[in-house]
Amino acid sequence: MLKKVDQYRYLIPTSYKQGMRIEGLIYADDDLIQQIDKDQTKEQVANVATLPGLVGRSLAMPDAHQGYGFCIGGVAAADLDEGVVSAGGVGFDINCGVRLLAAPFELKEVREKLKQLLDQLFRDIPCGTGKKGLLDITKTELDDVLRDGAQWAVHRGYGTETDIARIEEYGKISNADASLVSSRAKDRGHHQLGTLGSGNHFLEIQTVTDVFEPEIAKQFGLHKDQIVVLIHSGSRGLGHQVCTDYLDIMQDGMKKYGISVVDRQLACVPIRSTEGQRYLKAMAAAANFAFANRQMMTHWIREGFQRVLGNGKLTIVYDVCHNIAKTEEHELDGSRKQVLVHRKGATRAFPKGHVALPEELRGVGQPVLIPGSMGTCSYVLVGTAQAMKETFGSSCHGAGRAKSRTQAKKETTADQLLQEMKEKGIIVRGETRSGLTEEKPDAYKDVSRVVEVMHGAGLAQKVARLVPLAVMKG
Amino acid sequence: MQASYTILDHPADLGIEARGATLAEAFQNAARALTSIILDVSTVEPREPREIIVTAADVEQLLVKWLSEILYLYDGGKFVGKEFVVTALTTRSLHATIHGENFSKSKHRTQLDVKAVTYHQLEVHEDKSGVVVRVYLDI
Repeated sequence: MLKKVDQYRYLIPTSYKQGMRIEGLIYADDDLIQQIDKDQTKEQVANVATLPGLVGRSLAMPDAHQGYGFCIGGVAAADLDEGVVSAGGVGFDINCGVRLLAAPFELKEVREKLKQLLDQLFRDIPCGTGKKGLLDITKTELDDVLRDGAQWAVHRGYGTETDIARIEEYGKISNADASLVSSRAKDRGHHQLGTLGSGNHFLEIQTVTDVFEPEIAKQFGLHKDQIVVLIHSGSRGLGHQVCTDYLDIMQDGMKKYGISVVDRQLACVPIRSTEGQRYLKAMAAAANFAFANRQMMTHWIREGFQRVLGNGKLTIVYDVCHNIAKTEEHELDGSRKQVLVHRKGATRAFPKGHVALPEELRGVGQPVLIPGSMGTCSYVLVGTAQAMKETFGSSCHGAGRAKSRTQAKKETTADQLLQEMKEKGIIVRGETRSGLTEEKPDAYKDVSRVVEVMHGAGLAQKVARLVPLAVMKG
Repeated sequence: MQASYTILDHPADLGIEARGATLAEAFQNAARALTSIILDVSTVEPREPREIIVTAADVEQLLVKWLSEILYLYDGGKFVGKEFVVTALTTRSLHATIHGENFSKSKHRTQLDVKAVTYHQLEVHEDKSGVVVRVYLDI
């Protein structure tokens, strides 16, 4: 059974399930733990704990909900020599992530032109299923994108040099190998660079309503009443196919290495194996595609602002990965150790002083971007030293789903939802009506509550709160 | 052949449960279910055939790979299927002909982006009425 450790921590002892090699720990308050307990999250945290060579604990953040294999909102770190890498532990949407842009405008300056601005962005940024990007690149150029990520885009003129430091991994994971990405994955991604996608992906024009830490906010480039743009998107069909391909390879690999798992979606191979190394290099390539994807959209957002408002100088606050596996150094049992951290619906949250941060952020810490559901609010937090001690420098990644897509659709029509948004003063543009209702605000947990748990547990500190003004959904 | 599939609920994603008198029928119905999630199938016409061959280590993996193939045809090959005919099937290999047409943004009404077919709670089993397959999709 779950053991309450304190106000924000619930432990799953190894006795909970046969085969658990490490403990599980869920971050939640009294209310969120009840929601988490309704689905299979707890089982999935325990299932992950059965994988070979994991260190620390199998973790779930307060936005956790049932996924497939790993729960969404899960973090697990593996010993580089003894541990495994799981393609399912990263997920299909490799480097699905969030980017926040700070605009050189205040709310009062853009209010009258919001609709025009949203319409412009809706025209310029392809969204929804089956949409092609505006950019026509050759197969060779696609390989360059996979190698260089957002840096490719910047060097092609889609952005500025100063953008690069404000992206996790400087927008390029360096061990990427495009030759390990199948032609099928390239076929799927070739025409999708610079597209938003559908499902829970979105683009929102927001304003900063509250600043909790003025000095840190200032360093991030944020102030009260400022206009910001939040992008949530990933590696599109390319990343999905990379995961599909390597899940198959890992199914076979498990037989080869004598590994058995309780759910086939947890398929994994030793990190040091050929299959493991090849996956990590292909995953890095897909992650780079996602960085470039968000960079292209940033470029078109800047152009849109320039056209409608006469100034397109938006700066990047930060860009974080939600689905990724990274080799990082962490302290375990008193000594420093390199581990492979799987973040599946979780955000890296490094504190001030960390060497992975660019100089301009090293004095304050990493911005942690937490999008809420449509029509509620989002948060900017900052990483803490406590997260390094407890969660391999990780935080939650959003509100987390509370209702299934079918239930959400049953409860509300698109017209009702649009009316509700209108009453809140939020403009919405969506590619499909059913897509909209599936993403209605109360289909998600209360993001403020989720963030309070992170803040209260000391894993990330609240810096600013953002509310949406205009929403674009795929 | 009875049109027989159900879309299953999942906290964040969707699943498919498809039935058939035979394994081939169940696989065909699963393919129809997948397509119905991606787009409005009434907008698709069976204008040209595509031959598909899939091999796998076991029947469950075969199901994942068959549906992944249909997803790839759409997302990578811009081809959408209307009729799915499994012409030869063992537990480790499948031959099929898909009748459909090239994807057209103006003609076909899209619904949801299916990212991938998962191995989560994957199931192929027989009951009194025939074969049941269950698979979850990442949306």
